Amino acid sequence: MANITVDGKVIMAQDGALLIEELLANNINIPHFCYHPSLGKDGNCRMCMVEIEGQKRPQIACDTPIKDGMIIRTKGANIDRVKRSMLELELINHPIDCPICDQAGECELQNYYMDVGLYDSRLSTPKVHGQKRVDLGANVVLDQERCVLCTRCVRFTKNITKTNELGVLSRADHSVITTFPNNPLHNPYAMNIVDLCPVGALTSKDFRFKQRVWFLKSQEAICDRCARGCSIFVDHHKEKYKDEMIYRYRPRFNDKVNGYFICDVGRLSYTKENDNRNFHPHIRGKISEYEYAEGKLLRLIKRHLSKTLILLSSTLSLEEMVRLQKLTKLYGMKLSGYEEGNNDESFGDTFLKCNDLSPNARSFKVLGINSTKESFREDLSAVDFVLLVGRKDTALVQQSGFDKSLAMLCAYCPSASDELELLLPIASHTARAGTFINNDGFVQYSKCAITHNSEHKTLLELLGTILGDNIFTCKDVWDEELVAFDTLAGIDYHALQNTSLKIVL
Amino acid sequence: MGIKIIKREGGSFKDRIYLPAILSGMKVTFSHFFKNLKDTSNIKTLNYPEEMPQDITSRYRGVHLLTKREDGSERCVACFMCATACPAECIFIEAEERTDGVDEKRPKIFTIDLLECVFCGGCVEACPCDAIRMDSGIFSFVAQKREDFLLTKERLLSHQSMKDKEC
Repeated sequence: MANITVDGKVIMAQDGALLIEELLANNINIPHFCYHPSLGKDGNCRMCMVEIEGQKRPQIACDTPIKDGMIIRTKGANIDRVKRSMLELELINHPIDCPICDQAGECELQNYYMDVGLYDSRLSTPKVHGQKRVDLGANVVLDQERCVLCTRCVRFTKNITKTNELGVLSRADHSVITTFPNNPLHNPYAMNIVDLCPVGALTSKDFRFKQRVWFLKSQEAICDRCARGCSIFVDHHKEKYKDEMIYRYRPRFNDKVNGYFICDVGRLSYTKENDNRNFHPHIRGKISEYEYAEGKLLRLIKRHLSKTLILLSSTLSLEEMVRLQKLTKLYGMKLSGYEEGNNDESFGDTFLKCNDLSPNARSFKVLGINSTKESFREDLSAVDFVLLVGRKDTALVQQSGFDKSLAMLCAYCPSASDELELLLPIASHTARAGTFINNDGFVQYSKCAITHNSEHKTLLELLGTILGDNIFTCKDVWDEELVAFDTLAGIDYHALQNTSLKIVL
Repeated sequence: MGIKIIKREGGSFKDRIYLPAILSGMKVTFSHFFKNLKDTSNIKTLNYPEEMPQDITSRYRGVHLLTKREDGSERCVACFMCATACPAECIFIEAEERTDGVDEKRPKIFTIDLLECVFCGGCVEACPCDAIRMDSGIFSFVAQKREDFLLTKERLLSHQSMKDKEC
């Protein structure tokens, strides 16, 4: 360990570690473009200058190893002048088109200009212009003028995806980021470079011009596209007189699961959350009031009781599953988690994506829910009523020779079909909180619960009413029911709030 | 803090019978009345709406307008600055990609709800492109239905600036 003094404050730091890492870890504001924790140092932007006692000139913090007894100054007129000069250099050919730039509001150039810039332009010659809208492929659009050539994107394709699609072309102020001829961006993680880009040079074609970022509110969630369960931010906004809309998913740093990145498929899976928002309950193909349909569900369950099979989906949260399990135990119903088509061999890879597409199938094992085909067939032949929860594969039930009552509780509704006794929409993934267990056994809590104008209730609310025990929230379910499971010993609701906890499956 | 004692006025006999005060007030009223009766051209009030005000300058905050570029297209780039600055949240914008090479972004929908607008001029100050102004000189806006108070982009573009009218 080494003792270093930063702006008069003594900090304990790892000897030999990069100075910028320790400074950022101690919440000391160090402007930087090219350094990124996942990509390491590059030392090309020269923004992270600090004064080090004993050194003649200011040094870059990203390529300075820590030595014991270092005395560092990050503030003061001298170092601000250096940073201002660096910023002036970066901004010489910048088009300053913030009004049309999607990055405005989360742009490092803007932030640093407000921190240390605030100078008037001294440029007397015309700016060097570049192309404004270069389609790099994979939903990424490049604006050459805005680029500060930090090469984060180049290093991402080189070090992380190892696809090497991007490079820097030409010299001096004609340098531009570009792809090689006939080889556009094509890796399944390409849209991460939009997040990596500290300025507005790389923007997402999907989010382009949809919303200004300062309107967006972020909530933490877990991606439900595959079994990896990457940590994400859900950026949403409610426009006046309109309903809540989700505009994008962004990766949220989680060193245990996904690091700084998510895959493009997961990133774009937010669209399903915006669709089907205004879907109404249907009773035998006819639109119904939500309250009435809720009563109908209760009546159906009461009529069939032990002659009921509840088919639950692996997209449900751990809390919802345990509540369904309680319901089935109480009335002697059958419960099965058998699903087909959850394994896609073409989806997975060695980085984040995995073949298992079920966000929470591990919970079946934890709760002891049977998901084998044999038991599903056996249960199906013994019941008069099948209730699909969180899934819409009616075909699976019908092809297995079942022709009696069928009802469905689903967040992403199919077009209403007449064969269903009841079709009741429930709150979708980002509209309710819940716990998910990923394929490595990490128990993770998805906090995001956006309230919409639609009347769709969460499954926990519906089950709380049916069971009549006043347990409606995830916290209650954890305190009352999930504490009883041995595999989840040592894990509780509060512990899950800020971290992912590993269990042995 | 000390207490300041204020002497009560109005206790004299002259004040208590009121008549002298009324008469002195009437004197002012009638002097103006006869003065105006003799020379009607100097009266400051208008017979609105038969007579219209002639002293509205380009600094008057009237109904909004969207300015145009030299080629006649809208100057607005849908940066949402006005909508952000608006305290009444009465500006509704939807952006789209602009492909004609003039700029990258334009508003697909730009609507101002005049019934919600408080005419503060915040949008004009916030605009980085001088695309929205309030110098149309329109001080009275009349419509039959609520929907007609929603000014669309086309309508805002059709309003003329007072400066342009003068020259």
